[in-house]
Amino acid sequence: MKFYVESVSKCAQRLGTLSEIDAKPSVSIKTPAVMLHTQGGQIPHITHEVFKLVSRDPQILQIPLAGMHTFKEAMQYYEGTISNFIGSKDSLTCLTLQDPCNITKQGHNSTLKVPIWTKNGKVYYDAKSYMDVVESFKPDIYFLLSDGDTNISSSEKRISKSLSNTVSFYKECLERHRKSQTLANSFVIAPVVGGYKQLAREKFLKSILADVKDVGGFLIDGLHNNGPETEFLEFAEIEPVVKNILNKLPTDKLRVIQGCWNPVNVINLVEMGIDLFDSSYCHILTERSAAMTFAIEPTDQTDTYEINLRDAKYLDDFQPILTGCNCTSCTKYSRAYIHHLLSVHELLGPILVMIHNVYHYLRFFEKIRKCVKSNTLQALQVSITEQFQNHQKTK
Amino acid sequence: KSPLVFTLIAECHTTKARVSRMVLPHGPVDMPVFMPVGTQGTLKGMLPEQLEELGLQIMLANTYHLGTKPGVEILEKAGGLHKFMNWNNCLLTDSGGFQMVSLLKLAEITEEGVRFQSLNDQKAEVMLTPEHSIEIQNAIGADIVMQLDDVVRTTNPDKARIEESVHRTTRWLDRCLQVHKKPDTQSIFPIVQGTLYEDLREISAKDHIKRHVNGYAIGGLSGGESKDDFWKIVHLCTNILPKDKPRYLMGVGFAEDLVICCALGCDMFDCVFPTRTARFGCALTRTGQLNLKKEKFKKDFKPIDENCPCNTCKNYTRAYLSGVVTVYPSACHLITEHNVVFQMRLMKDIRESIKQDKFPEFVRKFMLDLYPNKEYPTWVRDSLSAVNISLTL
Ligand SMILES: [Zn+2]
Ligand SMILES: [Zn+2]
Repeated sequence: MKFYVESVSKCAQRLGTLSEIDAKPSVSIKTPAVMLHTQGGQIPHITHEVFKLVSRDPQILQIPLAGMHTFKEAMQYYEGTISNFIGSKDSLTCLTLQDPCNITKQGHNSTLKVPIWTKNGKVYYDAKSYMDVVESFKPDIYFLLSDGDTNISSSEKRISKSLSNTVSFYKECLERHRKSQTLANSFVIAPVVGGYKQLAREKFLKSILADVKDVGGFLIDGLHNNGPETEFLEFAEIEPVVKNILNKLPTDKLRVIQGCWNPVNVINLVEMGIDLFDSSYCHILTERSAAMTFAIEPTDQTDTYEINLRDAKYLDDFQPILTGCNCTSCTKYSRAYIHHLLSVHELLGPILVMIHNVYHYLRFFEKIRKCVKSNTLQALQVSITEQFQNHQKTK
Repeated sequence: KSPLVFTLIAECHTTKARVSRMVLPHGPVDMPVFMPVGTQGTLKGMLPEQLEELGLQIMLANTYHLGTKPGVEILEKAGGLHKFMNWNNCLLTDSGGFQMVSLLKLAEITEEGVRFQSLNDQKAEVMLTPEHSIEIQNAIGADIVMQLDDVVRTTNPDKARIEESVHRTTRWLDRCLQVHKKPDTQSIFPIVQGTLYEDLREISAKDHIKRHVNGYAIGGLSGGESKDDFWKIVHLCTNILPKDKPRYLMGVGFAEDLVICCALGCDMFDCVFPTRTARFGCALTRTGQLNLKKEKFKKDFKPIDENCPCNTCKNYTRAYLSGVVTVYPSACHLITEHNVVFQMRLMKDIRESIKQDKFPEFVRKFMLDLYPNKEYPTWVRDSLSAVNISLTL
């Protein structure tokens, strides 16, 4: 797989393409893009069969290791790739360490190994055991192992530990990658750690940038500990850190950020030159029975940013979640029916909410790409920010 | 115009099995048919359009649940359950009585109806009468609705109480028919009661067939009685119920029970089992059930059933399913789809074999797959020999 980018500026919005994928030569992904967040190999609540009702376009599935650890042994005996195994052979896969929807518990770190939380509790991975999994999963894209357990309040000591662990993982994983025949066509994404300390970030970059052959892109890691709180991070706090990193990264490589950022911050990050996000925000919303209703186009018929379908006011509201939306949920089901399903805890409730949220989010990214192309991202940012602020006021 | 047009298509020359078709306001139903249960206006995480694509012609919904939530007012505003849940094929609703007696310990039955403590916040005493049950079912708008019946557990030996329930059920049937507001679009089915007493079952069935209705149900079975008792009552009822109307055996859904009860002349079945068991990681096959949580499937890269045409069997291995069942809700949908398709395929195979007049061969093969060492349970052997199929051939 190769990444082609149209821009050469260090820290600005840009368009790119992921293509020349070995097993899927006809597929190409336009960036800025969103990977579909999965747990246990499925988009939460939506099976791959149901997803076909949402979109038939090629997608990258984000596969957090936490939900797949249970298959570690089976995959050693399985002949296909992880995308075959999870039942979505036409999708691309991106193996990641932590799940952006689940809080990464702090303070469980250890020298040269990192913890993930599986359904059976805490499990440690070191560079070797992690690369064993990567080799048996054969993902199209993967993150190198990282110790990204830092956030805005991390101590110097924790940050320095995160640095030394991750530099060491970087070297060992990359060496293994270069030797591996199986991974010859896998696209490597290297994490950039260092918390909110500029010096630490610079130090880390210095130690890896000398050797970035075979690295296809970079993950801006260590900004948060995942989970729902990412939605409410202040952009002003992350902006200088991200800017500083982007200014030092080679411009021709893919730039990835993980987490359930709210739409306003997604646009802010796109403006700075981030290429790849994930759809964990859709899941976070669905878990609180909320549906995205913000206007993407000025013509969208809505005066809300997000609605909570558990609210009793939807009891007899026979309108769709979002009038004019073409998703399966909006064309066939009413707010009243979804409210009923949610209030009696039926499985179909979150399915219908999630279908709409993923559809809306994919549409949002399509609009972002259009805006970058026509140089009108600013207008979209103003519109979404205004809707978001009004929503905060009415809350 | 009748809301139910029944056509007999083929009869087995050995057993009482038959293939028929009924045309309801929301489309045709090929019988014998298994109806999965979508209790609260939804079937365990399956989208109605997925079910339509599978070719599902009819499903069941529960009056007691829907009457509580969303309630009659919302259902009427929505224009009925079909519109509310976006299901364009047929629906059948139960009366709510059985749910109440089985779910609520405090239910008390009088001539007026079933009195129970409501599950809502007020904990008020509420009465479900035959009239009220039909009122809710009229609002739901299912193609087939059930009379409110006086259900007595088959394990209750009190014959006087059972005799009372038989006559009361018929009186309630008349009250239901009396207040039915939509006879042009909904058919009320009477329910034959009488637990395990053959004389009472006969009285009940004979009373009901005097009424002008479009089909009949056999109720009060599948409630813990022995299989030896169970099949004899089904056999007796189908002998009395007319051949030119559908016969619905309530609460039956295990594959072997379906095969036998088709042989005994039943046309319609329902059961929560295939969809409920999916949630616990249990997949149905002709050779028995697979509990996918078991360790032995962890490296088994075969599908649940190599011959099954469902999406789950086409795309997923047992190894994958065993790692996700009971962990993620979407895994439950995958097993549910397989189990629904399993039930539909079984019924289709039964219909095809009857049409080709090869039903006895089908039954023998089916039982041999299930009991490869030919250790057939007594009730299986007895019930089949009552309709001229010998398994010892
Ligand atoms: Zn929608
Ligand atoms: Zn199947």
